[in-house]
This record gives sequence, C-alpha cells and structure tokens, in this order.
Amino acid sequence: MSIGTEHEGRTYPSPRPYTVSRAKIEEFAGALGDTNPAYTGDDESVIAPPTFAAVIAARAWGAIFEDPDLGLALHRTIHADQRFEITRPLRVGDRIVSTLTITKVRRRGPADMVTISVQLDTIEGEPCCTAVSTLVHTRQEDAA
Amino acid sequence: MNGFDPASVAVGDELPALDLYATRAAAVRYAGASTDFNPIHWSDRSARELGLDGVIIHGMWTMGSALRVVTNWCTDPARLIDYAVRFTSPVRLPDDDEGTHVRVTARVTEIVDETATIMIDARIPAAAEGEKDTKVLGAARAHVFIGEHA
Repeated sequence: MSIGTEHEGRTYPSPRPYTVSRAKIEEFAGALGDTNPAYTGDDESVIAPPTFAAVIAARAWGAIFEDPDLGLALHRTIHADQRFEITRPLRVGDRIVSTLTITKVRRRGPADMVTISVQLDTIEGEPCCTAVSTLVHTRQEDAA
Repeated sequence: MNGFDPASVAVGDELPALDLYATRAAAVRYAGASTDFNPIHWSDRSARELGLDGVIIHGMWTMGSALRVVTNWCTDPARLIDYAVRFTSPVRLPDDDEGTHVRVTARVTEIVDETATIMIDARIPAAAEGEKDTKVLGAARAHVFIGEHA
C-alpha cells in the first residue's frame, strides 16, 4: 500500500492528552541553546518555546507511520517545510490534545509530498497552535 | 528587559545576527528533547540510504534555534504570532567538535497595524572564496506582535 490523494482529509485523533511539564520545557529550550528567561522561573509564568509544539506534533505523527494503508516509513522521510500558527503559548500543566489531518498528497518522481496539519488544543477546548508540515517520503522501490 | 521598544520598530530594522553550530551532540540532545528519533539524524548508514552524505541535524533544530534571532530581539517569545520555514538544504554533521556553522540574520520587512513581518536568513557561509553560501532555510518568516502588551 502507498499513500495517495485518496487519503487527503483523513484525520487521526490524539493518542492521549499530552501534559506540558516544566522539565520538558527546560530540556527543549536547552536543546536549542535558548536561555530566554521566559522558559525558566515559576510554574505560573513559564511558557514553552514556540517550536515546542513540534514535540506534541511529532507524537501525533506516529499515527500516520503506523497506518498500514499509507505505507510510510520514518527513516525514508525528510521534512520539507514547517509552519506554526500560534494562538497562545503552551504553559506548564496544559493538557493538550492533538488532531492530525492529511491535507495534501502529491506524487513527485520516486517520492510523495505529504502535507499534514496538527491542531493542538487544551482538553478544555482552547486552541493553542496549528503545526503544518510537508514531509517528503521516498517510496521503497521493491514495493512500488 | 533589554530595552526592546515595540513602538520604535521600523521597516528595514536589522535584528542582531546569531551564529549557530550544528554538532552531532546537538542532534543527540535535540532528538531526546523532541522525541524525534529518525535515524537519519544519528545513523550515517540510514542517512546514506536516503542519498545523504551522512547524518544531518533535525530541520526542527535549525528552525527552533534560528528563531532565537527574533526572540532575543523582542525578548518576550509570547509576541510570536506565526513562524514558517522551508528546509532548503540539509545541514550535515561532521564528526568533530566544531560542527557546521549556520549564520542567522533577520530584518523587519513590513509593519501592518501591530504586526511586524520579520524575514529570516539562515545560511552556511561558503568554505572558500569564490564558492557560494548554502541557504538552509528558505522563505523563513515570522510575524511578531508589536503592540503595547504581549
């Protein structure tokens, strides 16, 4: 099986709510070498770096790599573009649910360009961020 | 505060530049922090199977690190409205301590109401004279709220 335009519009709900923790925010900011004081301090005032949404979105991506209909493999995937639209920063204690939607599939030679949108909301229904990605997936030749 | 004055932001303003160094250690650290364990970031064999010369840094590391050029400038990351990039060229990770140097510059290109558009440029400087820089982020753009409260 391989991904095609017939999969556009397919959605995948959150695996489980993701709880934003101060420890993960510090670890993530540290991995970016970002010492902005907004990411440290007391739990009430700390916010996550804007691209922290990738941590939760990447978790949501698991669903498409596990969907046997799509035939996608992570190790044959390259990230082509990324966009974050931020409604409000993520904060310590936020419980986030994500919904992934396959919005566009285009075939280009031996690869498929797959655009996916991940909407991040709190479990209370407050929107926080939309993360839109285009992934380039190279099909396995012997499976084509 | 470092003295960021939203009222004084003007089209054409250059933001203070930023130097990033993409190393294998950074990739390992980012993989753990982000939980993105794609082997093309830590296995030369996996990277070569995709036609790369060897392991590359996560595009999201470059995207997230380059954004510091904006958040260092406006001080409050909560001012960010959106941020988009294309990954135009992979950043290879030599097996050394220095890594690959990525130079990040940015400037204000438009102001509409209380929103400033920042265009960001991230490139690997040419290794030798006569060679070209390698642009690693394309069409990299952030919108920043420059009203009185963030």
